[in-house]
Amino acid sequence: MTQSQSQSQSQGPVTGLFDGYPALAGTYDEMFEGGAAPRAPFARVAALLAKLPPEELARSQALAETALLHQGVTFSVYGDSRGTEKIFPFCLLPRLIASADHRRLERGLQQRLRALGMFLDDVYGEQRILAAGVVPPEMVLGAAGYRPTLRGIKPPGGVRIHISGVDLIRDPEGTWRVLEDNLRTPSGVSYVVENRLISKRLFPRLFDAARVHRVDHYPTRLAETLRSVSPLDGGGSGSGGECNAVVLTPGPYNSAYFEHSFLARTMGLELVQAQDLFVDGDKVYCRTTRGPRRIDVIYRRTDEAFLDPEVFRPDSVLGVPGLMRAYANGNVALANAPGNGVADDKAVYPFVPDMIEFYLGEQPLLDQVPTYVCIFDDDRKYVLDHLDEMVVKAVDEAGGYGMLMGPQSTVDERNEFRRRIIAEPRRYIAQHRVELSSCPTWIAERGAVEPRRVDLRPYVLTSREGPWVLPGGLTRVALKRGSYVVNSSQGGGSKDTWVMKDA
Amino acid sequence: MISRVADHCFWFGRYIERAEATARMLAASLSLSLDAELPSAQVWRPVVVVSGEESGFASRIAGGDDDHAAWGDGELVQRFMVWDEDSGVSLVRSIQGMRWNARSIREVLSHEAWEAVNELHLWMRGDLAPASYGQHREAFYQHVRRATQLALGLLRSTMLHDEPLDFVWLGVLLERVNQTARMLDVHHHAFTQMSRRHEVVETALWLSLLRALSGSEAYLKRAAGRISSEGVARFLVSEPAFPRSIAYCVRSAYSRLCDIRPPESHDLPGGIALERLRVLDTWVGARRTESLAGTAVHDVVTHVVDEVHEICETIGRELLGSTPPA
Repeated sequence: MTQSQSQSQSQGPVTGLFDGYPALAGTYDEMFEGGAAPRAPFARVAALLAKLPPEELARSQALAETALLHQGVTFSVYGDSRGTEKIFPFCLLPRLIASADHRRLERGLQQRLRALGMFLDDVYGEQRILAAGVVPPEMVLGAAGYRPTLRGIKPPGGVRIHISGVDLIRDPEGTWRVLEDNLRTPSGVSYVVENRLISKRLFPRLFDAARVHRVDHYPTRLAETLRSVSPLDGGGSGSGGECNAVVLTPGPYNSAYFEHSFLARTMGLELVQAQDLFVDGDKVYCRTTRGPRRIDVIYRRTDEAFLDPEVFRPDSVLGVPGLMRAYANGNVALANAPGNGVADDKAVYPFVPDMIEFYLGEQPLLDQVPTYVCIFDDDRKYVLDHLDEMVVKAVDEAGGYGMLMGPQSTVDERNEFRRRIIAEPRRYIAQHRVELSSCPTWIAERGAVEPRRVDLRPYVLTSREGPWVLPGGLTRVALKRGSYVVNSSQGGGSKDTWVMKDA
Repeated sequence: MISRVADHCFWFGRYIERAEATARMLAASLSLSLDAELPSAQVWRPVVVVSGEESGFASRIAGGDDDHAAWGDGELVQRFMVWDEDSGVSLVRSIQGMRWNARSIREVLSHEAWEAVNELHLWMRGDLAPASYGQHREAFYQHVRRATQLALGLLRSTMLHDEPLDFVWLGVLLERVNQTARMLDVHHHAFTQMSRRHEVVETALWLSLLRALSGSEAYLKRAAGRISSEGVARFLVSEPAFPRSIAYCVRSAYSRLCDIRPPESHDLPGGIALERLRVLDTWVGARRTESLAGTAVHDVVTHVVDEVHEICETIGRELLGSTPPA
């Protein structure tokens, strides 16, 4: 479409695989800068990729998918009685991130995670930020993820957000914007590591020439992070003694079971289910073939509502009775800490920049999506006047539920949301739809490379020493033409994310 | 080791062995049916009886116990033993059970062993297995046997030889004791039912049994080519060097359990199962010098099967968390 514009660019156009690549109007293309000229930091890699014959790419793509299936790198499809498992579709063409870009991202994420951690300490402690009027108390205390029973409990090691997966998008100017902070049980990191294995296997020479930061040390860093908060050995002393950390999974029927088992395996930790654990004298033990064994760190991949039936869900048969007592007494570290949901609540999100200033006295390094908070009169009025342009989200729902997509909505739908917003303003926020960036993607059924929208989920580990950002991340891609939905359940796939080393 | 994980290891071992044994037995029966000049019910009925699914076959597949046409219909029996989703012992169910248990302990298995297991599962669930079954039955059984043997080999060659593998192997060995014992019993019973003894037919049957247990060459070496009813029975019960004999499997299972729960560690759970297995090992050892003529074979294998059943129950209770130890 815009190929003719490329003539004036200093980087010459690349020819081959990307010939006739139709950049997507109105989006920031991750690889190309108008027409066929790659962005400067990617010139070399783009030229290498362009030399791949389409037939080879198609063959490699098929090989990659077979390998994923054979290795069982799959997610379970809910509601399928035969236990069908699917692979997460994978596009071999990597998403590239320039090293300078990633450094900015890294600093911004570290800053954000430090502030969010301090916010959680404060909310479950003195609540200074509420007293100072920086965040409206009703936003925090009324959040579904706020757990009043946890107030006053200090987590072992002082860390609450051991693992986070912050969702980022890139607007048409190329500015990174935080879309969502996932501070409870973010998933997807196993695909980061597995996708990289496949890239290396299928494009060994190209990958070697590209000079990309490695991602395969994530499990080691995660294991160190978990050990660092152990209440037993004073944290990270590396005594080399028996590691008493475990990964807690809801079980093989969970859609993310592959990842749970992947992380346990790559960290050399045991994968346990709630039934394997019990609490005695406020300490946690595992049932083993040689009797009970003490456990002091649990990387839990279960929802906190199912952690301890004594506290959260008395009706639940899942969970470990007494676990929260053990936690409150400092005898077991839980990663992530329960109660984190208050900090990634959609209605608290608009205040994260204020938190950064309040706790750190710094200007936020990362932008986010401007958000209207319906509990504020001015914001609510604006939202109600512009419903047909806005994306309205219920703060306590996820996965695309409880949403109004203004531009595609009917009058009835808008009236319904108008009624709901007026009735319960606390439950709603609204944003203008942000155009996601696009990335060259191999579309098998067309045998061609086309732009598709992407987001990015980088992973941040926080130990006693502070946050560390994995130089990589999960790039999710909306494989359907024109789609904005990157979720695996709705036609989304993933890409390997290559963070380039300095040239 | 976590009891639940040990349980999955144990059952993974049992299912993988069961899948292999079923494929092996069906292939041997198929070969026997081609030239044994036996009434076909005499070839195929034992297959169902050995698997313990007699009543299921009689009620759901055949028109009762006397439906000789059904019991002698090799295709019907094979379809039941391979594809029946409601039978606890069909190949498709064994492979399902093997893979389900393996997936539940994915982090315990080595990458290569897991991949071998998963590939067999995907093959069985996809189009390739039914196609192979339809076009080349022998190759189908061979594929299952090789895939299970590959997985078992990879377990031994790529995993730590410690507790998880001990539990897998304990499952394999106890399942194997059962398979050998039941096959011997059923075949032996068939001879007592024959109206006329016929040396050629008997020889074919014994060879088929030995082949089903991959033991024909080993037996012939030991017996210098002489095939006799008592000789085969003695070999399958007592031969200490044959890896599918009852004596070998019981002795090996005892040794695995000793590694898991050393006899001197009186404070650890597992003592009752260990003692019972030790007694069984001694008992099987003592059968070496006794006659196995007549009904003696039936008595021996019945005792073995009953004891193995009890031992498995006890292992479940003491070690695998059937009742939590804490």
